Amino acid sequence: MAIIEVKDLHKTFIRQDGTKLEVLRGISTEINKGEKISVIGPSGSGKSTFLRCLNRIEEPTSGVINFKGEDITSPKCDINLVRRKMCMVFQHFYLYPHLTVRKNLTLSPVLLKLMTPDEADAKARELLARVGLADKIDEWPDRLSGGQKQRVAIARALAMNPDVLLFDEPTSALDPEMIGEVLDVMKELADSGMTMYLVTHEMGFAHKISDRVLFIDKGVISEEGTPDEVFDDPKQPRTKEFLSKVLRR
Amino acid sequence: MRDKFSRHDGAGRGDVILWIFGLALLYLLWNSGFFTAAAWQDFNRRFYQNFVKDKRYMMLVDGLKSTIFMTSGATLIGVAVGLILSVIRVAYKGGVPIPLLNKFAEFYITVLRGTPAMVQLLIWNFTIFASARDLNTQYIAILAFGLNSGAYVAEIFRGGIESIDPGQMEAARSLGLSYGQSMRYVILPQALRNVVPMLFNEFIALLKETSIAGYIGIDDLTRAGQNIQALTLEHSQPLVMVAIIYLVIVLFLTRLVRKLEEWLSRGRR
Repeated sequence: MAIIEVKDLHKTFIRQDGTKLEVLRGISTEINKGEKISVIGPSGSGKSTFLRCLNRIEEPTSGVINFKGEDITSPKCDINLVRRKMCMVFQHFYLYPHLTVRKNLTLSPVLLKLMTPDEADAKARELLARVGLADKIDEWPDRLSGGQKQRVAIARALAMNPDVLLFDEPTSALDPEMIGEVLDVMKELADSGMTMYLVTHEMGFAHKISDRVLFIDKGVISEEGTPDEVFDDPKQPRTKEFLSKVLRR
Repeated sequence: MRDKFSRHDGAGRGDVILWIFGLALLYLLWNSGFFTAAAWQDFNRRFYQNFVKDKRYMMLVDGLKSTIFMTSGATLIGVAVGLILSVIRVAYKGGVPIPLLNKFAEFYITVLRGTPAMVQLLIWNFTIFASARDLNTQYIAILAFGLNSGAYVAEIFRGGIESIDPGQMEAARSLGLSYGQSMRYVILPQALRNVVPMLFNEFIALLKETSIAGYIGIDDLTRAGQNIQALTLEHSQPLVMVAIIYLVIVLFLTRLVRKLEEWLSRGRR
C-alpha cells in the first residue's frame, strides 16, 4: 500500500517579469511504507521542487498528492497535520539559532501537544544519542560543525515520529570530511525501516541505500528503476550522459 | 605613502582645531571675568534661587517622573502596535489573505510617519479628546506618542522579520507548526533579538520627543525647566540643567543597550 501517491504533479513559477517557468511537468510516482527512494538529476531539473511540493512547502500548481489515502492538495486538508508525519531535512539545516539543541528538538512536539515536556526531553536525549551527539544537548546550534548541525536537524525531524522523511540534498552544504558522519546516520535510519525520499548528489550512497532511483530531468521522471538498473544499465541517453559526467570523477 | 582613507589624518586635524577653539573660549571667559570670585558667587546664588529655594528641584524631579512615565507608557503601546502592524504586513506578503488589514496598516504607517508628532499630539488633545476634560492629559500624551512610535516600530520590526532566512519559516512549517506558531516561536524571537538595539534607540528618541508634551499642559521635565524660569526670571540655568538630565539618561540608556546586545548575542560565535 503506497504511503504517498503522486499523480501528474505540475509546478509553474511565475517570474517577476511575468514570464512562466515550468519546473515540474507531470510527475507521477509512489512510495511504499519502508521504501527508500533517491531522486537524482542535473541541477535545475526540478528534483528539489518535487520534494518541496510533497509537503506543500512549495504549493503545486496542479496534480494530486495522496498521503495515507488523503488528498493533501485539497483545500479541506489541514496541511499542518500532514507535516507532523512527513518531516523535512534541509540542505542548509535551518536549526533554530535562538534555541539550544534540546529546544530545537522539543519545540514542535511540545507546542503541538504531541508529548509532555518530560516525554519530549527523554525523546530528545534518546535521539541525540542515536545520532551520536548526546553531549551536545545543551549546546547552541552556532557552536556545532556543519555535520553536527545536520545530525541535529535529522534528530529534530525524528522527534516528530514521522512516517516519512524528506531529505533535500542533506550533504550538499557540508565540508567533504563531514559528509560521512551524516550519511552514517542516514544509513542507520534507512536500515531501521524509515520511509525516505532523498534528493542527493551522493550517487554511491543513493546506490547503497535506495530501493528505487528516480532520474528527473526537465521536470519529468525520465528514468526509474532499482539502483542497479539506473546506475549500471541506464536506458535513456540523458541518464547515461548525466551519470557519465557525475561518476567519472 | 599614507593611505588616503586613513582616519588619523582628519581626526588629528580635528583635534587641533578643537584645542584651539577650547583655548580661545577659555581666554574669552577669563577676560570677561567668568573665573572671578564674584562670578562664582553669582553662579551659586542663582543656582540656589533656581533649584534649592522652596525645594524647586522637586519641580524637576516631578517633571522627570512625568517624562519617564510618558516614555514608558508610549514605548509599551509603540512596541505592541508596531509588532501587530509589522506582523500584518509580513503575513500578508507571505500569503495570508488579509488585504484589508494590510491596507489599514499601510495607511496607518504612512499617515503617522508623514505628519509631525507635535501636530498629532495637538489633534489628540484638542480635537479627539477635546470633550474628555476629566481625563488625565498624560494618558492622552501616552496614547499620542505611543501610536506615533508604533508606526516607526512597525518598520523596525518588519526589517527585523525580513532579515530572518526564509528557511527558518520553512523548517518550522515543515515540522508541523502553523504560520502563527512559527512566527511566534521561531521568527519573532530571532527578529526581536536583531532589532533590540533599534528598539532602544526608538525608546531614546521617544524620551526626547516627549519634551513637546508641555504644549498640551503637561509638566514634564522640559516644562518644569520653563516653570522654574517663570518663577526666577532666570534664562539659562534651568534649561541647561534640563538638558544635562536628558543627556545623562540617554547616555545611561545607551550603555544599557550595549550590555543588552552582549547578553543577547550569547551562544553566537
